[in-house]
Amino acid sequence: MKLLTHNLLSSHVPGLRPGGGFPLRIELGRPSELPPEPLPNYEADEEFLRRLHHVLLEVEVLEGSLQCPDSGRRFPISKGVPNMLLTEDEA
Amino acid sequence: LGCGTGKYLSVNSQVYNLGCDYCEGLVEIARKKGDEVLVCDNLNLPFRDQCFNAVISIGVIHHFSTKQRRIKAIKEMARILTSGGQIMIYVWAMEQKNRRFEKQDVFVPWNKALCSRRFSESNPSGDKGEFVHTPKGQDVHPAQLVISECSYQNNLQPETDPKHSRDMDHCLPRACCMKISEEENRFYSALGRSFRSWFFSRSLDESALRKQSDKMKHLKHEGVWANSTVPIQHSRHCSLDLGHPGALLNERGLEDDDDVFVESLSLKKPQWSPATDALKDLSLNGEHQSVAPNKGDKASFINGPVEDRDHICGCDKDGAGKSDASKFFKRTSTTDSTDSALDSAVSVGDQTDAVLDTKAFMRYYHVFREGELCSLVEENVPELQILSSCYDHGNWCIIAERRG
Repeated sequence: MKLLTHNLLSSHVPGLRPGGGFPLRIELGRPSELPPEPLPNYEADEEFLRRLHHVLLEVEVLEGSLQCPDSGRRFPISKGVPNMLLTEDEA
Repeated sequence: LGCGTGKYLSVNSQVYNLGCDYCEGLVEIARKKGDEVLVCDNLNLPFRDQCFNAVISIGVIHHFSTKQRRIKAIKEMARILTSGGQIMIYVWAMEQKNRRFEKQDVFVPWNKALCSRRFSESNPSGDKGEFVHTPKGQDVHPAQLVISECSYQNNLQPETDPKHSRDMDHCLPRACCMKISEEENRFYSALGRSFRSWFFSRSLDESALRKQSDKMKHLKHEGVWANSTVPIQHSRHCSLDLGHPGALLNERGLEDDDDVFVESLSLKKPQWSPATDALKDLSLNGEHQSVAPNKGDKASFINGPVEDRDHICGCDKDGAGKSDASKFFKRTSTTDSTDSALDSAVSVGDQTDAVLDTKAFMRYYHVFREGELCSLVEENVPELQILSSCYDHGNWCIIAERRG
């Protein structure tokens, strides 16, 4: 799973507050290599853009989980594929 | 959505592509191809609102067993579209060039051994229901056929070279490509003839679905289907899954008119006890493992049971019996006498087990009439505006845009 995909994902556990369930927390060992906030004028900053592109499209989560920030429900990622299915009871 | 093994994920390399499917096995295949994919439910998409510019749904929503589920799927896909974003939906058409679906709600068998139909054939998708020809040598992967059973590849790539290998590295090597013997040929011919009688006459929406427990009680005591209120008229031969293809293809029965089932039940009474046992095996939770007793170690088969679960469990949401629907195709008529040709076909199947798996899976389709898909969207999904629609190789297709 690429980080750009993660940006699109939201927890769809029923009963969350409006706008809730996003962003899902990625659980794995490695810290981010990006600064916490984009610097002003980041669009012109080639170096920043390269790192951003790398992180968004060239880094993949292979094993781990995505945690819903509101319900705590974890969605597993296995072999690079997130499984976002809810159980019958949950949905 | 419903990307399967990712057939259409490489169509446009200029955009960020994401494939989703309910079936883990198929998604894994796509992943190995290098696609960005995830497993999710079309009816409950794990995406934020309005985050995609384009969505495609090719041969997917016709597998949803009720109108409400089909609407829900379309609405979910509309939800994740940006304003002005577009969606393309392809579904099987009831109106086919060379054949006719008798009803809109049908089960279409799929059998791994029959997977070598040429992709290049311009047969309408409906023809997949009749396997009457000798499989030809073909680099076609069974999982692909599951996905492309609708012949959609002809829609987008009419010049597809039939010899173009799809490069699925776990494809049974040449399994689909072996010549089959005369006996097997007869087996498949018989299979083809019987398929018309496999189609059910009523929409699952219309069926009177009673309480699960009532049904089970009925059947356990009486051991027959006669008292079932499920209005099944067609074929008792609805399932090959339990490994009795010979019995199912008792040719004497095949020439009967379509109303073989209810009326002639008195004659068939002794045959139903195995079916009753089969029923007892059914988990009332709606687990459909027995539908596909195949070891399931091939990814291509995972689509069968998983999909069926979706289709059949859909009825449960309507408050009716999951097992009712599951009975539609769980029931097997295990007649004692079998056609000798079929016997030999079965034994051939045993010998070359990896090559000729005689089990078949039943896949539910709601085939669409002309205008039905448009009406479905116009009447139920106001957030979408239809831009164009057409008929394409046995499919109804629409392109719609999210308003606003």
